[in-house]
Amino acid sequence: MLLGKCLKGFLVQTQRNVRNEVELADLPELMKACPPLGSTPMPSLNAITMATLDAARVLMESGGKAKSVDDLVHMIAHGLGAESAELRIGYASLGLTISIGHSSITRMKKVGSIGVNQRLEQGLWQLAKRGLHERLEAEQVEDQLVQLVAATPHYRPWVMALGVGLACAAFGRLLGVDWRGTGPVFFAATVGQCVRQFALRYGLNVFVCTVLVSSLASLLASIGGHWAGSGTIGTAVIASVLLLVPGVPAVNALNDILEGYPTLGSARATSVMVVLLFIAAGLWIGPVVLNLWR
Amino acid sequence: MNLLFLLHQTFCGAVAAAGFGMLFNIGMQQLPWCAGTGALALAIRTYCTGLGWSLEGASFAAALAVGAAVQLLHWRMEISPTAFDVVGCIPMVPGSFAAKAMLGLFAAAAKTGSGDTHLLIMALQYTLSVTFITGAIGTGLAIPTLLLRVRLPLPRGSRPEH
Repeated sequence: MLLGKCLKGFLVQTQRNVRNEVELADLPELMKACPPLGSTPMPSLNAITMATLDAARVLMESGGKAKSVDDLVHMIAHGLGAESAELRIGYASLGLTISIGHSSITRMKKVGSIGVNQRLEQGLWQLAKRGLHERLEAEQVEDQLVQLVAATPHYRPWVMALGVGLACAAFGRLLGVDWRGTGPVFFAATVGQCVRQFALRYGLNVFVCTVLVSSLASLLASIGGHWAGSGTIGTAVIASVLLLVPGVPAVNALNDILEGYPTLGSARATSVMVVLLFIAAGLWIGPVVLNLWR
Repeated sequence: MNLLFLLHQTFCGAVAAAGFGMLFNIGMQQLPWCAGTGALALAIRTYCTGLGWSLEGASFAAALAVGAAVQLLHWRMEISPTAFDVVGCIPMVPGSFAAKAMLGLFAAAAKTGSGDTHLLIMALQYTLSVTFITGAIGTGLAIPTLLLRVRLPLPRGSRPEH
């Protein structure tokens, strides 16, 4: 029996050696078929992959859905001449394999903090369409991407703060805040948005910023509501922090799961939960501070 | 159905959607469209709740209508569908329920007595409402997108399987 096993092992090893010999014998032919190392399409493949990944990263950071990111990657990659593009989308990183003929390359890219920027997203789609129709080179796409990120207009901070204040006041009315409580909601949300912009500009952690703004806005809404004689102070306090609720990531999370990206969808849902937890912590801190002050 | 209440909710939905549109950096020329989708969402939700529908069902109907309207507008006017359908539904996102649920859970955790199950039940009810309403909005938005999605001009067979 032992002899039989040894014989079988010998035969298997011999077959492997023969196969290796056949493969080694084919190697010169294979090498002849391949172009020399210097003329392989690898550099251009690398440029295509990195340009495509950069665009995908910017779209992720602008609040794009997974399906949109996937579509954008295909548009840009095909516009740059790739035959296939396979994207792996994570919450904090992207992986992309680009193939042309028998050559393929895989690269990864880290994704930064995720916000929402619709004008940038629209600009990306226009860039992708331009790339597809005008057959831009990878370097041109990279250059135009850098220009796009730098040149995308933003609202002035005070205009945005007023807009957010109005939105929260309208939210308050939808939730049943009386007219006396609507003014304090507007004021608290406007100040909260100003503080948020300032804190984020100076690199404060997003979650710490959420607690800070939540406690400040709830405190202001509470004091303002008392001062104005509102009968719905509790609802006004909640309405004043609605600027912090991550509505777009919450909807995107479910969309991603429905469209076949459960990993990213779950990650988004988890981050939404954590932000809500920090908002609630701020709402809890605000009244505590108010009671201490009294 | 009180027409004045319907108009009030519609107007507030429009203002909330436009305000959040600014936060999401939507261009000034497109803000009226954001306001329009927000108004449509709140009008349908208010009308449906007035008919006796649950908040979840009404939110689903409103999100479905907004998603379909935005897809049709996208075909006709070259506007970005992702910008408008989500922003239009932002006034329906149950942020206040979420905050109440979290505060309720905090309060329930702080209570030590055995007879304080009422707080926990309230918090759980809010949590379930948040889950179902967000689910209704997301599903309502996804259905028109999946059914009416504009196909991109890509070669066949080149798309990865997920």
